[in-house]
Amino acid sequence: MKMADAINQYHSLLTVLPRLGIPLGFGEKSVEQLCAEHHVSLTLFTLISRVYIEQDYYPSIEELRQCPMTDILHYLVSSHKDYLEYKLPHIEQHFNTLLDPMDKKYSTLIVNFYKEFKKEMVKHFQYEEEEVFPYMRQMLSENETDNGEHHHKSAFQQQHDDIEDTLNDLTNLLLKYIPAEVSSSERVDMLLDMYALSNDIGKHAMMEDRILLPYIQYLESQSHD
Amino acid sequence: MIKIAIAEPSQMLRSGLVSLLRDVPDSEVVFSTDNLNALFSRLPALHADILILNPLLFDYSHRATLRAEFDNYPELRLIGLVTAYLESQQLHQFSGIIELNDDLQRVKSTINQVVNTLQSDSDEPDTDPLSDREKEVLICLSKGLKNNEIADTLNISVHTVITHRKNIVRKTGIKSVAALTVYAILNNLIEEKDII
Repeated sequence: MKMADAINQYHSLLTVLPRLGIPLGFGEKSVEQLCAEHHVSLTLFTLISRVYIEQDYYPSIEELRQCPMTDILHYLVSSHKDYLEYKLPHIEQHFNTLLDPMDKKYSTLIVNFYKEFKKEMVKHFQYEEEEVFPYMRQMLSENETDNGEHHHKSAFQQQHDDIEDTLNDLTNLLLKYIPAEVSSSERVDMLLDMYALSNDIGKHAMMEDRILLPYIQYLESQSHD
Repeated sequence: MIKIAIAEPSQMLRSGLVSLLRDVPDSEVVFSTDNLNALFSRLPALHADILILNPLLFDYSHRATLRAEFDNYPELRLIGLVTAYLESQQLHQFSGIIELNDDLQRVKSTINQVVNTLQSDSDEPDTDPLSDREKEVLICLSKGLKNNEIADTLNISVHTVITHRKNIVRKTGIKSVAALTVYAILNNLIEEKDII
């Protein structure tokens, strides 16, 4: 399949490319060609794309075993970086213009709520990058010795539900309850960005729930044998 | 016209309820009884929308599953008339709860809420703004009160507080207390100074 056709059909994949190090401007090249050119595993690309496109996709352990897991970790870390260094600052820019004409006491309130949300998100990413991912890397490299640390899994799931809920709350506040006089085109832009972010974070969470966690569990069960 | 049936063993409560319900617009009490036999023999022909039922009419072993007794009436909404302590599992079977010390206003709003669920089941979007009671619960939440503290302050059961909270989340689309607080301030329900 041509990469351009894939992206035209499934826009949301657009955010995936830079995280995998595939730049735009690829002309007529196919997905296979581009993956080979940029040293991205085709299985990995397919796996990520399917999570983005198919709502009910739960890859089997067999599929996961075919996939280079360290690359998935790398992809997840690039996503974190993308959220924090690009997506969120972009939303913050909208905020500045949008909330400027509002009564200070209301705008501060929303900004503070947003800051709390961001703090939560940074904390969650840190936890993953400092605890969960190293744990998984260790399991991948050893794969034989079990160090008995199984406490990561449950906490892992709860946290990004919170992040998605908070983002959803923020979106509803902006959509429904900020007074009408606030610049509407800026507001629409901002909401579109937030829906896109929320969709992307949802997929990100799915990747952790449907790929990372099952694989960690699989590795743990292997090391018990 | 909303058709209401009542099943309650106490004659006094039954008559009291019937007279309260006269003031609920667009409603009519079509049947009232003190026992289940009469209820189940009449129910097929009544086409009632709402049954106000005292769960104590069912013996203990059937109380937690009493909703199943009404499986033949999927459209029928049950409102529990609670006169004694009941486990929350039993209460969850009801679409609404009326308690002994509820005033007319409260009974009306419970019935209205249940009627609204009738409508929302038919895919009608819920476009009602928050009710006065829901606003009161929201204000308490914003001030940092817990469910049991809200129940005490407003003189309602914890179960009712939870029902209100569910409705608030459903209507606003907002889940977290922090965001609900922002909502409350934006809508001038509370002042910012009240929350710290």
